[in-house]
Amino acid sequence: MPHNDIEHILNAINAVIVGKKTPVKLALSCLLAGGHLLIEDLPGVGKTTLAHTLAKTLGLSFQRIQFTSDMLPADILGVAIFNRDTHEFSLHKGPIFTQLILADEVNRATPRTQSALLEAMEEHQITIENQTYDLPEPFFIIATQNPSNQIGTFPLPESQLDRFLMRIELGYPDAQAERELLLGQDRRQLVHDLTAAINSDQLKVLQDAVSKVHVSSALIDYIQTILAYTRDSGQFVYGLSPRAGIALLRAAQAWALIAHHQQVLPEDVQAVLPNVIAHRLHLRVDNANGDFITDLINAIAIP
Amino acid sequence: MAGLSLGALPHFIYQPIWVAIIFIAMIFWRIMAIRHLWPLPTKQLSAFKLIHLAIAGIAFVLLFISYGNFIGRDAGVALLTVMLSLKVVEIRHHRDYYISCFLGYFLVVTNFFYSQTIPTALLMFIVVIIMTASLISLNDSKKSLSNKGLIKLASSMLLQAIPLMLLLFVLFPRIAGPLWGLPQDAHSGKSGIDDSMTLGKISQLILSDEIAFRVKFNDQIPAQSQLYWRGPVLWQTDGTTWTELNKRYLMSSRPDFTTSGDEYSYTITLEPHNKRWLFALDFPGELPLTPASHYTYDGQLRSIKPINQRQKIRLRSYTQFNLNPKQDDAINNALQLPDKLHPRTRQLAQTWLQQSSQPAELINKALAYFNQNDFYYTLTPPVLTGDSIDRFLFESRRGFCEHYAASFTVLMRAADVPARIVTGYLGGEINPVDGFLVVRQRDAHAWVEVWLQDQGWIRIDPTAAVSPQRIDHGISTIMPEGFNTPLLMANSRQLIDLWQAIRNNWDAFDNAWNQWILAYGPELQKEFLQKIGMTKPDWQTMALWLAMGFVLMSLMISFYLFYHRPHYDPVSQLYSTFCKKAARAGCVRPKQQGPLDFATALKQHYPHLSQQIDHITELYINLHFGKQTVSVSDLRLAIKQFKFTASN
Repeated sequence: MPHNDIEHILNAINAVIVGKKTPVKLALSCLLAGGHLLIEDLPGVGKTTLAHTLAKTLGLSFQRIQFTSDMLPADILGVAIFNRDTHEFSLHKGPIFTQLILADEVNRATPRTQSALLEAMEEHQITIENQTYDLPEPFFIIATQNPSNQIGTFPLPESQLDRFLMRIELGYPDAQAERELLLGQDRRQLVHDLTAAINSDQLKVLQDAVSKVHVSSALIDYIQTILAYTRDSGQFVYGLSPRAGIALLRAAQAWALIAHHQQVLPEDVQAVLPNVIAHRLHLRVDNANGDFITDLINAIAIP
Repeated sequence: MAGLSLGALPHFIYQPIWVAIIFIAMIFWRIMAIRHLWPLPTKQLSAFKLIHLAIAGIAFVLLFISYGNFIGRDAGVALLTVMLSLKVVEIRHHRDYYISCFLGYFLVVTNFFYSQTIPTALLMFIVVIIMTASLISLNDSKKSLSNKGLIKLASSMLLQAIPLMLLLFVLFPRIAGPLWGLPQDAHSGKSGIDDSMTLGKISQLILSDEIAFRVKFNDQIPAQSQLYWRGPVLWQTDGTTWTELNKRYLMSSRPDFTTSGDEYSYTITLEPHNKRWLFALDFPGELPLTPASHYTYDGQLRSIKPINQRQKIRLRSYTQFNLNPKQDDAINNALQLPDKLHPRTRQLAQTWLQQSSQPAELINKALAYFNQNDFYYTLTPPVLTGDSIDRFLFESRRGFCEHYAASFTVLMRAADVPARIVTGYLGGEINPVDGFLVVRQRDAHAWVEVWLQDQGWIRIDPTAAVSPQRIDHGISTIMPEGFNTPLLMANSRQLIDLWQAIRNNWDAFDNAWNQWILAYGPELQKEFLQKIGMTKPDWQTMALWLAMGFVLMSLMISFYLFYHRPHYDPVSQLYSTFCKKAARAGCVRPKQQGPLDFATALKQHYPHLSQQIDHITELYINLHFGKQTVSVSDLRLAIKQFKFTASN
């Protein structure tokens, strides 16, 4: 049953990542909705652990790519190598050929390397020497990024940000969780010992279940109002793209599934909204202390 | 406050200077108070209260000195203006703001006592918008609207009021004359032709560009030299001043006349001049429908009441007329000359009389005298002292219409030919934009009528003998170059033409405003209503139409509201009933709150009702956001039965 599976997964992850129930739920709904995840936070708050834990519990193959400024696209995608025995070029697959990739500190790579991920993220395929290769299914990228005010970063362009379904922040753990971290077992050991809660078939079933969560026309009205607001209110440099609208709906559906809702409710939309749209919008007038997502939610009546 | 100032602004022109000074001082005081620089008068007795009272006292004294009383248009408006400005300083409560605003509206109305032109109307419209905006802002306690928003809302409210305004304008029964009796002083200070003529007087008029009247000819327009608009007829003279025939003759009998020749029908729109003359083209012979009028013995068309508002007059004139052809007593008045005056003139006339006693020949001699001697037509003649007629005829020989008319009349009378002076207007300018003939004060003219046996009174214009241009092409051809145009433009022909075009267009627009808006009195209303199909435009029918118009308009508004009402499906409506119940119990659902969150919030306040709240929420979610597997009646029932009861 989908719900039991979800409970299993959440329990398994929360055993490792303590005190982060909401970000974990968001991360899971992002993957269930088939989207890529961007985690933005300071080093050392558990970004890598989260990614690794997700991979393990979902039973996915896992690769970590550490991005650096001297990295080239071939380092990710792989290269075509001439085989002397067969007198043919054969592909030496790069780390991208994995179900779940942790692209660590993605904003330390140059734009050229960053954009190598673009095709992979959107089409689930890559092209080397005019040859197109399919990537394994399911295919997820969890990218982490250091806050952009740190040195040695190339900020991701809007086009690339738009391809991440969600951006989440982890933040410092609270006192209780921190205590648990300090007293408890080594996290790396915990991750290592994790067993898959589901297999990839079950994951496929879950993903199908997400797209089957009922969406009423009233809810579509609500989402459309949100999209129109970002485009017409004049607060933002650009409004949300249609892709962002689809992302919002999928994420809300996944959230509804995790929350045991029979249908998507406005509350589900509101729950994922900050993480789905915040990285896609730029305020025209930057007011650092105002929470513009809350303002946006408060401005829109539920139909 | 800006509205008040703007509204009061035009009054400064008509009121004594101290009214403006007090008004501006009070507004300034208020502004300084708003900036917390100066204190305002308090309720209790204090220095500022005393200053305020002192200003009020001074204002009253000044008012009394200026007007002698507080009654009448000028004094009343001055009182209103000053008191309003004093009130502005005294504003403390909401109520005071309201009073100031409403007084402001009243101030707007008073402006129309003085001027009803388009610029005034536009200015007042702006004032009304600002006033309305301030009323809105008074009621907008949360200050949710910006200044721009206020103005926008006020404008749109006023625009929405326009259909109602039009309805009332068209259908509200009109009565002749202003709705309320204007005080006596309302019409003072109008310039125009007078009932007496002293040499040199018309010259002031000639420099006036003011419009005397406009004429619309129904078909063809007579030649410029035929456009003699007849006004007062002057008989009596003391040597310098000419006056009308005494009342006994003037009113005793009607003129005896016949008319013939081409017929011209036309409509005159006469500007108010506070006198009774209706300047008809020559002698029409018949009376116009409005205003009530009559002909005097000497053929003046006079209204019963002074013309103190714009008046439309429909008339028909003929190119030829034959006035009083039979001899009667009054004609002796046309031979009257002051004793012992004008000896040289009389002498000249006597020499002519010895050569011929035929009046026609005498006239020709006199005209030839003007024509063949060095007479000049000038608008700035030398001032004549002493025996002005003799000095003009034999010495200065420089003058304009009234000099020629007066001296010609004296010459004729000295030669025993009955003659009289007729004053009025000559010519006019056709505005090419709307085809109206515009007659201005500067077209004022004086000419002569002589009486010939069997032919009656015949028009002779001695000015024509000197300056035919004046007669044939109008006064503007002999005006100094650059007259009527701003000085700087006078050099360029193109600019003058442009200026002329702008003036013509504006004048045509102004005229349309006069013809249709200001002149919309009882007659025009009657005519217009008949045109749109009202068979019997009396006040009962108008009231009925007005009522029907109101009903129709409210029906239209209701239909609009009905079709644009928010469409709620039954489920949403039921849920909003539920929310209203909750709101009455003290839990208001914010518009952005989802049903689950709302249920959670409710359950915190009413834990004992959790089950019902959950049930209703579940049904609603299923129906509104879900697959609608339950029926609406379940929800209806659940919500109907639901009551917010306090926990026991």
